[in-house]
Amino acid sequence: MKKLFTIVLALAFALLANMSLVTADMHDWWADAAAPYAGATIRGVSESTPPSNYVADVLAAQFTELTGINVEFETTSWDQMYSKAINDMEANTGIYDFVYIEQDIIYSYLAQDYLVNLTQFAADNPDLAYEGYDESAFTSFADYFKNADGDLFGVPMEAFVKVYLYRKDLFEDADIMAAFEEEYGYPLAPAESFDQYADNAAFFTAYGESMDMDLWGTTVQGSTGHPASTYEFLESIGPSFGLYNWGINLEAGSAQSANGGALDGDTAVEALSFWLSMLPYAPPEATSSTWDEVASSFAAGRAAQGWVYGENAAWIATDESRSAVTGNVGVRLPVTAEGVVDAAMMGDGYIGYYDGGAFGVPHSSRNKEATLLWLQFIGQESVQAEWAAAGARITHTATFDDPLIAEQDTKVDGYYTLLEEQGPLFAGAPPFPFHAQVREVIDPFIQRAILGELSPAEALSQAAMAVDEELSRLGYGM
Amino acid sequence: MSTGVQRRALRTVTTLGFWVFMTLLTLIPIWWMFVVSMRSRVELFSRPNLAISRLFLENYSNVLTDSAFQRYMTNSIVVSTSNAVLVMALALLATYALSRYKLTGSDNIFFWLITNRMAPPAAFLLPLFIMFTRSFRIGDWTLFDTQLGLILLYCVFNLPFAIWLLKGVVDGIPIELDDAAMIDGAGLGGVLRHVVIPLAGPGLAVTGILSWVFAWNEYLFAANLTSVEARTITTGLAEFVTVTGTNWGELAAMSMITLIPSAIIVIVAQRYIVMGLTFGAVKE
Amino acid sequence: MRNPRTGWLLLSPTLIILIVFGFMPFLYVLVVGFFDWNVFAAEAGMRFNGLGNFRRLVFDDLFLTSVGLTIRFALFAIVSEVVLGFLLAQMLTRNFPGKSVFRIIHTFPLMIAPIAVGAIWRLLVIPGFGPVPFFLDRWFGLTYQIGTYPDQALATSVIMDVWHWTPFVTLTMLAGLSAMPREPVEQAKVDGASRLQVFWYVTLPFLRPVLLTTVFIRIMDAIRTVDEVWMLAGGGPGTRFTGIYIWRVTSPGASADWGYGSSISLITLYLTIVLCWLLFIAISGRRKGEVE
Repeated sequence: MKKLFTIVLALAFALLANMSLVTADMHDWWADAAAPYAGATIRGVSESTPPSNYVADVLAAQFTELTGINVEFETTSWDQMYSKAINDMEANTGIYDFVYIEQDIIYSYLAQDYLVNLTQFAADNPDLAYEGYDESAFTSFADYFKNADGDLFGVPMEAFVKVYLYRKDLFEDADIMAAFEEEYGYPLAPAESFDQYADNAAFFTAYGESMDMDLWGTTVQGSTGHPASTYEFLESIGPSFGLYNWGINLEAGSAQSANGGALDGDTAVEALSFWLSMLPYAPPEATSSTWDEVASSFAAGRAAQGWVYGENAAWIATDESRSAVTGNVGVRLPVTAEGVVDAAMMGDGYIGYYDGGAFGVPHSSRNKEATLLWLQFIGQESVQAEWAAAGARITHTATFDDPLIAEQDTKVDGYYTLLEEQGPLFAGAPPFPFHAQVREVIDPFIQRAILGELSPAEALSQAAMAVDEELSRLGYGM
Repeated sequence: MSTGVQRRALRTVTTLGFWVFMTLLTLIPIWWMFVVSMRSRVELFSRPNLAISRLFLENYSNVLTDSAFQRYMTNSIVVSTSNAVLVMALALLATYALSRYKLTGSDNIFFWLITNRMAPPAAFLLPLFIMFTRSFRIGDWTLFDTQLGLILLYCVFNLPFAIWLLKGVVDGIPIELDDAAMIDGAGLGGVLRHVVIPLAGPGLAVTGILSWVFAWNEYLFAANLTSVEARTITTGLAEFVTVTGTNWGELAAMSMITLIPSAIIVIVAQRYIVMGLTFGAVKE
Repeated sequence: MRNPRTGWLLLSPTLIILIVFGFMPFLYVLVVGFFDWNVFAAEAGMRFNGLGNFRRLVFDDLFLTSVGLTIRFALFAIVSEVVLGFLLAQMLTRNFPGKSVFRIIHTFPLMIAPIAVGAIWRLLVIPGFGPVPFFLDRWFGLTYQIGTYPDQALATSVIMDVWHWTPFVTLTMLAGLSAMPREPVEQAKVDGASRLQVFWYVTLPFLRPVLLTTVFIRIMDAIRTVDEVWMLAGGGPGTRFTGIYIWRVTSPGASADWGYGSSISLITLYLTIVLCWLLFIAISGRRKGEVE
């Protein structure tokens, strides 16, 4: 009965929100502004994720109704999305009017001057500038899509942080707690240091084995056939030990310690060694797991704790059709080495990965005006809360205070509060215009380290050398 | 006498046993795909179990009611069928030319035709993309994201195969039959229609069927050279793999559905496949 | 009586399509292969590089490993397919109850899209939801993780390919065998030849053109393989075949190294042609006249 009441309430709220959106004034503004472009079709490319699907299914329909501009979405896989967008922009073909820009590729796009300066473009076309759209309403995540002058090149559409998830039902079970304390001499708790993390991992792996349960102590995103493993090491594990910017010194153009880099330094080796030492405590699929499979493993209840991308936190905690651990998910900041959090608070370094993406307009688009209207439509305040509830993504500061989100927040153990308050401790990918190229070079060494063919020190020193070679080949080297 | 009967019976039983075993090996992966398609996402990660516990059709209904899926399916059917017909026609003309006319360098041409299938597809994506979007542009229309583009492109890997297959078949048709028809007053069209096509029928059929299958199954080109309008079913399969989780159930359901048209074709055309795939072994 | 001009006319549509969609892109790749061209280089654009790309690939461990792996993959897969396919075809020439049903079921894998085949096999072999590692562990105590053991990944790719493509070989062999006249075999048996001798001196020479063509087509397709192995193991160690490596190198979302990728493609294409040619000589050299 209570559930039914909630549903009715939610429906009423949704209706209300819709109606407030389509009040007469705004209706007129959109129709007037879009009049010259009515009937046009704009096309975008994105991955088939919940936030994108909400845009494609809900927002696009609302926008078309208001303006008469059709929005077509091409959904595709992650690898394909880049290939197609870059091919289009590089060949200047104009297939796409808006493209999904993941935070880590933005610097490559800016360096190649692929994208329209949205701030500038809106200023040049005051007729098209919607007053309900305000660039300053975005969270700090939008800063990643700005140039040195503060002009925006992409309208943020999703943002997440990679957090530490743990199973509350296991960590708060009295018998388990007693067994842990007996064995390790201190109480069981979500990990706050790497030693504690390792103890937890070892304990739960042994526990799973003794109970003949499919349970292991940690997740590891260790796919040996996918860049996901390199990403987990460079963007989550590395920073938590104090290895920033992939150990690449951009000014020196080198990753080697001898030249001011850090990829083959002691911190990096320590971080990689720790991460690899977690493999025996991870479920057997870890070496085949990319980001989505880590989330699936955790949702299946196969890991007691782990590093999981934030876009998955909400569905793991709440979606009963996909997750076996709903209601039992605890969310914390990822484990860090001593001093890393303090340094991050001082603005010196960061503790983990702030990821997400934005929609931008390529120069090659032939419908820039109509697309600008569209991006303002999805970037305006009034559509944010419901979108956030549907896609677990937050890009506006005000969305955190929305009752819809406040209600969600308790279900996901304060993930949104964490995102709001500790978000600034995380950082996006380093400002490399050669992001994918250099990552591709590092991949094989991380993969061989996972396979045990190379020791962490060997893998990293060879990776650093290969990075330097690639940097000089691309013209960013010494 | 009785031992002979016994031996024969034993042999039949062994043969049957062997084939039952082979059939199981063939079917287990397909069965597993079916099992996955009948599971909800949360059930997938329970301990592996080859049995189906309950009738769960949500994956199928989700796929079937998706308008994108219907468009993909139509595109796949149109592209594969048109491509197969085109390949059959062109390959027949080409092999007839190579077989009956003294063309300078025909051996080299034949070999060059074949090498078209050897090219690693990934490296050709960029030139093809540029070609599709720039070279073939009439006003606003481009070859990119059209069924026509895929139909023509698929000839690149289907024609070599088809010509190779048909070459032997056409070579095997005695040239005297052509001559006899021509003496009776038939032109080129008449010879093709009344002599070559009937005799090369099974070969032609299998060419069409296998071209259809290769076109139906192609992924890399379709993924890169279409966007919304002309996307095929194989590109639809790849969409299920996302950052927030691969929807294995729906992927399996869609795979099962795409299996149906090909399976029907195989069952119906089984006889012709075997009769036609002789690669020139018919030289009686 | 037969005017070559008519011949060329008949051949022309094929030639036009293959020149436009096969040869033109090839020319493009041929040219780009001699340039240094990475979209995300500090200075954008193409720079002539002479043989630089080719010099680089000689020392590229990943490329050399990929060639080795591809050859091993193709060799294991094709030999198994030919042997298995021949045996099955031989069995199918005899009559037994249910033959046509078995034959139809046997051809099913051929009809499944490679990308779906990769997905099916991934679902079978990934620990956590795949039954294969689960039962291997439970019944035989074997650890089977394709992500951890490159050899297992290679073996799995081979088995997957055999599962997928043996039916093709069976069908071609069956076609060849059914077209074979009975008399020479009967005659050889009357002359007292053993089964092996009949196979070696009568059946095999007759099947040579079929065998050759089948093996060629399988070699070409095996070397080009991308989708199914990609879906299965992502192209990590053990499965980074040349086709997949080229995809990674040229893919704009990864290396975006179009010049280098083109040079690798050229070498791969060249190696494929040489391989096919050598094989052609080896199998048909002595009896060239008969094959053509």
